[in-house]
Amino acid sequence: MNSTLNRHWSPLYLVVAMLMTLSQPTLASEKIPRLANGKPDFSGIWQTTSAANDDLEPHSNRKDAPPSAGIIEGGTIPYLPEALEQKKRNFENRETLDPARKGWTLGVPRAVYYPAPFQIFQRQADLNLVPQFGHSVRTIHTNGSGHPTDPNDWWLGDSRGHWEGDTLVVDVADFNDKTWLDSAGNFHSDALHIVERWKFLDKNTIDYQATIEDKNVFSRPWNIEVILYRHREKNFQLIEDYRFTLDYDQFYPPKPETK
Amino acid sequence: MKNRNRQHYTSLTGGIVLAASLLPAIGFAADDTKAKPTPPAGGGIAQEKTVPVIVSGKWTGKRLPDGQPDISGDWSNTIANHNNFTDPQGRIPGEPDRPGVKRKELGPRAERAPSRVSDPVDGQLPLQDWALAKVKEFQIGFHNPVKQEHVEPLARCAPAGIPKSFYWHGYEIAQYPHYVVFFFNSGTRIIHLDGKPHLPSSIKLWNGDSRGHWEGNTLVVDVTNQNGKALLGRSGEFLSENARIEERYIFSPDGQRYNYVATITDKDVYTRPFTVTIPARKWTANDKPNGWHFEVEKANSPQGNYEHYERICTENNGGFGLGAASPTK
Repeated sequence: MNSTLNRHWSPLYLVVAMLMTLSQPTLASEKIPRLANGKPDFSGIWQTTSAANDDLEPHSNRKDAPPSAGIIEGGTIPYLPEALEQKKRNFENRETLDPARKGWTLGVPRAVYYPAPFQIFQRQADLNLVPQFGHSVRTIHTNGSGHPTDPNDWWLGDSRGHWEGDTLVVDVADFNDKTWLDSAGNFHSDALHIVERWKFLDKNTIDYQATIEDKNVFSRPWNIEVILYRHREKNFQLIEDYRFTLDYDQFYPPKPETK
Repeated sequence: MKNRNRQHYTSLTGGIVLAASLLPAIGFAADDTKAKPTPPAGGGIAQEKTVPVIVSGKWTGKRLPDGQPDISGDWSNTIANHNNFTDPQGRIPGEPDRPGVKRKELGPRAERAPSRVSDPVDGQLPLQDWALAKVKEFQIGFHNPVKQEHVEPLARCAPAGIPKSFYWHGYEIAQYPHYVVFFFNSGTRIIHLDGKPHLPSSIKLWNGDSRGHWEGNTLVVDVTNQNGKALLGRSGEFLSENARIEERYIFSPDGQRYNYVATITDKDVYTRPFTVTIPARKWTANDKPNGWHFEVEKANSPQGNYEHYERICTENNGGFGLGAASPTK
């Protein structure tokens, strides 16, 4: 009797189950990974599929990049006139001037949308962002501390985060002027100030937004947005990429004389 | 623009003049200590001369929620830097006298810390003849390089690799579910605890590829995929890319010490496996910051905790990075 009833009703259960599944996106915030303190846990290996690193702005295809509509709200970067000339010079000489071509620290925000994986190691008090590319480690402090009172000018700036609901809001300041924003020569000065907003779209997808301001280079603050996907390939891992050593790798280690 | 990064000094003591001839081609580590003479053996780096006995066994201390023994924090070796691998508190082998610099006599060998080589018991590395010849060549060349091979890779901001990272400045050990991560002054090492297989053997890395697991108070790590490029010290010893390293990090019951005990098997360079032992101690908020062992700054917070500033080397490296970014030019 019971079994007959079950069989009879099972299609309906199935429909209900399907409806519940379809309604999951609205419940996504309940399903995201969280730390013990309830804050979203961004631990994992992430990467963009965008062409942002080739050029943040809309661009046609070129020898060293595919076409892209860019990732800037409003389309283009509001350069001050002199800075725009500098940007053009950077673009012309990008092959030799781009810091990434030398294997140097990508900086912020470029390391977020550089087309290589980066891993987030997260604790309650901080997030350590380890890009596969290069050697740098970026720490975002989430322990309530402020920017240093006597700061350096850092390659990565100084990152202090706080939570607004499930969004990690990071204030990044105290930069030097030596990193680029992409490989097209978009640049900044040491007055760069960035406010980032990191939030889960679902457990395997992060929406990353940043407001970029720099009174020496831009006429107003401007916004970018990229989506980061979690690497879910089996056994996926970072493989160190200290490519700044490639020029001298050949000299080591010693080898026996060949006869 | 201010820049007082302390991470770019790759202390090339002994090696500054020497490289003048190589400088245009390869450049050199910018070094904020270069005007100073070599410090005496240890030079404040030496905290002690002996290696404590710590035995593998049960872990009775604090654990993290994922079950790992909680050993997170700042650590540093207690003996010496990488000047000399087998006589850690001795001098850089072959170091010439410098005019006007009076050096303290070292005294008998027994008064200094033992060799980092704990097996064989004579403390010497069982190098094959050809490899010993290369080491001797380096020990002369280091002080007056006439070949690129004579420049210590760390002086070019290369990662210190294994095992040198454990006696090159203090470092942070951070723990996460499935990972132990070493944030070294000269690179990052990720130990995978989840049992995934090693990378394909054709991939060669400065820090190798590490798989670990906990056995009581001991973190056991199997390292493959070495590129063999990082020297063991300014004394020039080296591994090949076929070296296999079995590491045991044996933590004391109070969690304030550990001994790094690594068995290295490398048939391309050595006549037999050998064991390296490096003692380390923890540095905490109760310690004063220390430019070698505990490179931290007070955070801007009511708690007054310490934090690390960014670790940067190659970009600030005046000779190599900024002056001759492309030596093939």
